[in-house]
This record gives sequence, C-alpha cells and structure tokens, in this order.
Amino acid sequence: MAALGVPRWRCLWRRAAAPLGLRRPGRALLGSRGYGQDAGSEADKEKSDVTKPCFTDELVQRLLSKMTGLDLQKIFRPIKQELKPPTYKLMTEKQLAEATRKAIKEAKELLKMPPVLSEREPIDDVLAEDRILEGTETVKYVFTDITYSTPHRERFIVVREPSGVLRKATWEERDRMIQVYFPREGRKLVPPPIFKDENLMTVFREDRHEDVLNLCIAQFEPDSANYIRVHHQTYEDIDKHAKYDLLRSTRHFGGMVWYLVNRKKTDGLLINMIQRNL
Amino acid sequence: QVLARVIMVHLAHLLMKNYHGGHVAIRMALGGCANRPFFRIVAAYNKRARDSKYLEQVGCYDPLPNSHNEKLVGLNIERIKHWIGCGAHVTKPVEKLLGLSGFFPLHPMTITNAERLRKRRALKAIAASEEETPGD
Repeated sequence: MAALGVPRWRCLWRRAAAPLGLRRPGRALLGSRGYGQDAGSEADKEKSDVTKPCFTDELVQRLLSKMTGLDLQKIFRPIKQELKPPTYKLMTEKQLAEATRKAIKEAKELLKMPPVLSEREPIDDVLAEDRILEGTETVKYVFTDITYSTPHRERFIVVREPSGVLRKATWEERDRMIQVYFPREGRKLVPPPIFKDENLMTVFREDRHEDVLNLCIAQFEPDSANYIRVHHQTYEDIDKHAKYDLLRSTRHFGGMVWYLVNRKKTDGLLINMIQRNL
Repeated sequence: QVLARVIMVHLAHLLMKNYHGGHVAIRMALGGCANRPFFRIVAAYNKRARDSKYLEQVGCYDPLPNSHNEKLVGLNIERIKHWIGCGAHVTKPVEKLLGLSGFFPLHPMTITNAERLRKRRALKAIAASEEETPGD
C-alpha cells in the first residue's frame, strides 16, 4: 500500500492546494476537483451538491474512496453480534490471497458513501378549502395511501385540519406516517434523544462519532434538516479536535472531506494525512 | 359484445358463490379491545358478518386520536379503485371518510351535519346572551 500511497497523496496535494491558496468564491473554485461532467456512478443514490463539482462525479468518488483508505482490521472489527467462537481454517497461499480479495470486495461494499443532499424544501400545498366543516372536529385526520407499490417519495399523505382545510402533510408528518405503516429496521417513530445538541456533546467526548452517524443514517432521511444538522455538528467536532482517524476507514469519510472542502477548513485534515503517509 | 365480456369476467366469481343477489361491500370491520376500538376498512361480501372473513383488507382507521392529536387513516387507493371498478358498494361511514380525504367529493351528510351543528351553536349562543341581558 506504501507504493500506492505516495502518488495518491501527491495528486491530492496538488488538487487540494487550490482551495487553500487562491481566493476564489467557494463554488467556482471546486471546478478543479470535479470536471463538472454528469455523474456516472450509482444511479439509485442522488448526491448532487453544486452544478459544477458533483459529489457523484466519478473522479470525486474515486478520490474520496482513495482517501478513505481500506483498513480491513477496522472495517471488519466485530460489530455487536451474537458471540461465536472464532473459526480457524487451514489454507494454502493461493486460498489466502483469494480470501483477502473477497474481503476487500466486501469491504468496498460496506464503504459505499451515504448520499449528500441539500436540505429539503418545506411542503405547504393546500388541496381544498372547505370552511363549512369548521368546528365539527377537534382533531386532525391524516390520510395515508398504503399502496405497496408506490415509492415513499410519491406517496399521497394528506391532512384534513379541524378548520376544514385539506393540505399535504409536512415532511415530519410524512416520515412519521411512513414509519407507522411501513416500519423500517433501525428507525424509531420518535427520534431518540441522542440527537439533541447537549447529548451529542457527551457522545463526542466519548469518541463515538461513527456510531452516532450510523444511527443518524438509520433514523433520518438524507435530505432532512436533522440529518444534515447532526452530520455537520459531527464533522465540526472532528475538525475541532483533529480526530480524523475515527472516521478513517468508514463510509462517512467521504462525506466529511466533502463538507470540509466546501467550507475550506482542510488544513487540519491535510496535516493529518501528511503525517500519516510519512 | 366486448362490454358484456368485460362485465362477465369481473363478476364471474359472484355468480359462482352462494349469496344470491349479494354484492361486495367496502365497509368497516371493528376490532381492538374493550374501550379501544379499531376499524379495518375491508372489502367483503355484503351478507357476511361484520368481523368475519373478508375478501381483502383495504385500509384501517383508528378512531382515537394519538399523541399529536391526529386520527390516522390508511387507505390502499389502488385496491379501493379495483373493487369499486368490480362493482363494490361503499357504506356511509367509509364514504364520509373518503370524502374527507379528498378521494371522493365531500359527502352531503357531512356538510348537512356541519350546518346543523353550526345552527345549533348559533341558537345556543343567542339563548345564552338573551339569558344574560335580563339577568343583569
């Protein structure tokens, strides 16, 4: 890996030197990073940040994944699973190489970066106004379309207020209803208190940023305000205390680098990377 | 000729079963526990008991409001459309719910009840104010 390390670092240095040195407005300056072509990679994840350099550009993704590194020991560190005694296998050299290759492939799967999207616009769309119904009810009615085959983004979720107004549900209401009728593993109806600001500070003091980010991905939609807020706070904290190694071989590394580059706070990270490669 | 074949295909199962002159209804089946009702919106044969075997569950309705003060109603719109297309009848409570949801136009009884309630409240308000003024 050492042979690959040096040229990687060098090409990165040249690209990353541009944000530090020149005083250009944030968006146009990132043209050096991605060539602004349309995204070639994963069709299902839509991560578009700016018009010119996209998060999904092939080049950007390759750079980010190289920077993330492939520390097998850390990736396949035991996740909390049922205890099984370790199995020992006797292999020839060829079989060992084959097993390492398969492990690397699986590790690459685990390292798929979660999408980075801009915050979603609030919905307020009134479908009907029936003021005649005002005063008949004291309660809202929330109607959800439970057709199994519609994607969750296109589902009709509609609220009839006690004032008689029929409006589309807000994003929070939508998330809650979809979780009620189509429960997803790892997601709770009420977001756990770990995501409040005071509790986040406690978690950061214990260096468990990765766990928080994993919980956040399970709980919130990628373009919700909470998801973005938690991620930004985590990245800020890591940057403040220079704890980049915590996210080194995880799938959150790319997102963190993207965030820091967009805000031009890459000094600490670059110093850390130089030290590591040397 | 084509029309007849279409109707035949859809209603064929009705001709084969035991209910003479029955039809499919989309109605509410009560479930839940004591002091805790819960309705399933269900497509069932008209002659069947309220809570017994149905053809398909097509939604649910929780009459008690939750912690956010909402009554939750789930409706499988695609299947409701299918059953209505097969000639199912819809009972009044389900019609009212669908009217409130916007899938059907507002049920006339909803509007009538709203107007009646309003008139009654207006009369009560007038009666209350008349009581106060002589009482002064």
